[in-house]
Amino acid sequence: MNEYLVLVVEDDKPIRKLITTTLKMNDYRFITAVRGREAVMLSASHKPDIIILDLGLPDIDGVEVIEHIRTWSDVPIIIVSARSEDRDKITALDKGADDYLTKPFSVDELLARLRVIQRRLMRSENVSVTEFVNGRLRIDYVSGCVYLDDEKLHLTPIEYKLLCLLAKNVGKVLTHKYIIQSVWGTPVFMATLRKKLSDSSQALIQTHIGIGYRMMKL
Amino acid sequence: MTADSIKKSKSLSVFKDSAVCLVVLTAATLAGYAFKAFHLADADIIMLYIIAVLVISIFTSKIQFCLISSVVGVVLFNYFFTYPEFSLSAHDAGYPVTFVTMFITAFIAGTLANKLKRNTLIAEQNAREKEEAALLAQNEQLRANMLRSISHDLRTPLTSISGNASTLLSGGDTLDESARQQIYTDIYSESMWLIGMVENLLYATRIEDGRMQLNISVEILDDIVQEAVKHTERTHSKRNIIVDMLDEIIPVMADANLIVQVIVNLMDNAVKYSDDDSDVTVSVRREHAYAVISVSDHGTGISDEEKEKVFDMFYTGYSRSSDSRRSLGLGLALCRSIISSHGGTISVSDNIPNGTVVSFTLPIGEVDLNE
Repeated sequence: MNEYLVLVVEDDKPIRKLITTTLKMNDYRFITAVRGREAVMLSASHKPDIIILDLGLPDIDGVEVIEHIRTWSDVPIIIVSARSEDRDKITALDKGADDYLTKPFSVDELLARLRVIQRRLMRSENVSVTEFVNGRLRIDYVSGCVYLDDEKLHLTPIEYKLLCLLAKNVGKVLTHKYIIQSVWGTPVFMATLRKKLSDSSQALIQTHIGIGYRMMKL
Repeated sequence: MTADSIKKSKSLSVFKDSAVCLVVLTAATLAGYAFKAFHLADADIIMLYIIAVLVISIFTSKIQFCLISSVVGVVLFNYFFTYPEFSLSAHDAGYPVTFVTMFITAFIAGTLANKLKRNTLIAEQNAREKEEAALLAQNEQLRANMLRSISHDLRTPLTSISGNASTLLSGGDTLDESARQQIYTDIYSESMWLIGMVENLLYATRIEDGRMQLNISVEILDDIVQEAVKHTERTHSKRNIIVDMLDEIIPVMADANLIVQVIVNLMDNAVKYSDDDSDVTVSVRREHAYAVISVSDHGTGISDEEKEKVFDMFYTGYSRSSDSRRSLGLGLALCRSIISSHGGTISVSDNIPNGTVVSFTLPIGEVDLNE
C-alpha cells in the first residue's frame, strides 16, 4: 500500500476520473477538488504529499493557487495544462510548481511524474550540506570540486554554478528565465556541461524544449 | 501613425505646396519679363500665369493653392506688367475686366486640373482596395477549404472511436478477449491520430499571410532533434530510427516547439510511407552559416511531378486511400511555412537506392561563449 496522499484539482470530470482511476489502480490515496479555493483549503486541512493541479479552474487561476499554497508549504505540485498555454506553464513553474503534464497526457506519463517526485521525497530526509551525491555524480561543496565516478571534472565557473543550481533543485523543472536570473547560464553552457558529464542521453539533466531543464534524482 | 506625426506630415505638405507655388509663380514672372523684352502682348503674359496656375494645381494637394495662386497671379501681373509698373493701380479702364477674366480662367483651369489629379488618385486607391479584397478572399477561401477538409477527415476517426466505444458499452462481455483487445487498440490509435492532427491545426492557426508568429530563443539543435525522436519513438515503435548528429554544439535561433513539430511531421511521413522494420534516418550537418537537418526513409519515394506539389496545403498524394494512410495534407505545408518564417528552406529529393529525403535548413545562432 502506498502511503502518499495526492490532492487532485481538476474541474473537468472525465479527466478527474482518469487521474483518480489511475491513482486507485496504483494504490495511491487521493482527495479531489473542483475549484481553486477548495484546493487551497484542502491542502491546508489534509496536508497532501503531492498536488496535481489543473491550471484552468472555474474560480481562481491555477497560478494563484500555487502562490497561495507556497506561502506556507513546499508540497510538490504537478501542473496540468493544455498545449496552447505554454506561457502559463512557465509562469506556474516560476511561481513554484515542480513539474508539468501537458494535455493530452498518457497514464504512463502521469505515473512517471509521480515516481520522480516520490524519489525526491524519499531521499530528501538525509541531505548533507557539504556534499551532493546523485548516481555517478558527486559535488563537494567545500572544495568546489565535481567528480564523476570519482574522477575529477574540470568545469568553468558558470558550469559549476549551473550544476549546483540544478543539484539544489533536483527533481524540479527550472525555467530558462530562472536559470538566467540565477547564474547567467544559457543553453550553450548547459550543453557543454552535459558533455563534460557524459550525459548525452539526458539521463541526468533533462531538456524541456522551450521551457527549461531538470536534474533527475537517480 | 501617431497624431503627432500626422500633424507633422500635414504641416510638411503645406510647406512643400507653398514652396511649389512660390517657385512656379516666380518662374512665370521671370518668363513674363522675357516676353516683355521681346515685345509680346499682355495676353501672352496672362497665358503664362494661367499655365503657372495649372502647373500648381497639378503639383499641390489642395484646391486652396489653386485659388490663392490665381489671385496672386492677377496681383503679380498687375504689379509688374501693367502701367504704372510696380504699383497695384491700373490706369487703363479695360484692366479690371482683364483681371477678372484672368482670375476666372486661371481658377477654372486649375480646378479642372486638380479634379483630374484627384480622380487619378481615387482610381489608384480603388485598385489597391480591390487587390486587398482579393487577397482577403483568397485567405478566406483557404480557411474555408481547411475547415471543410478538417471536418471531413476528423469524422472518420471519430466514427471509429465512438462506434467502438458503443460496441464495448452495449455488448462488451459477449466479445472474446482478442476482439476486445483489437477494439481497445483501435480506439487508442485513432485518438493518437487525432491528437497529432489537432497539434498541427493549433500551429496552423498561427499562420498569417503565409507567415508564422514565432517565439524565438536560443536552443541547442541536438536537444530539438532528440525531443522529436523521442516523440516519434513513442508513437511508432516498429521503425528503426537512426540518429546521425554532429559532435559539436550547434545553437540555433528558433521557436523550438515549432521545429520539433516540423521534424515530428517529417518522421511521421517517413514512417507512413515506408514498411515496418525499415530504417528512418535523422541526420544533422553543417553548411556554412546553416544547419541542415534531413529525414530519410526507404519507402516508395515521390515522383518528380509530385515533388513540386507536396508542400501545397491539402495535397495528399494520388494514392489517397481510406485506411491508415489518410492525412489532412497539412503537415508539409505547415513545415514549409514554419521553416521559411525562420529564414530557412525545405526541399525534397530521392534517397538511394529507394525512398525519400526531406531536408531543411536553419540559420545557426550567434552565441558569445566568453564567460
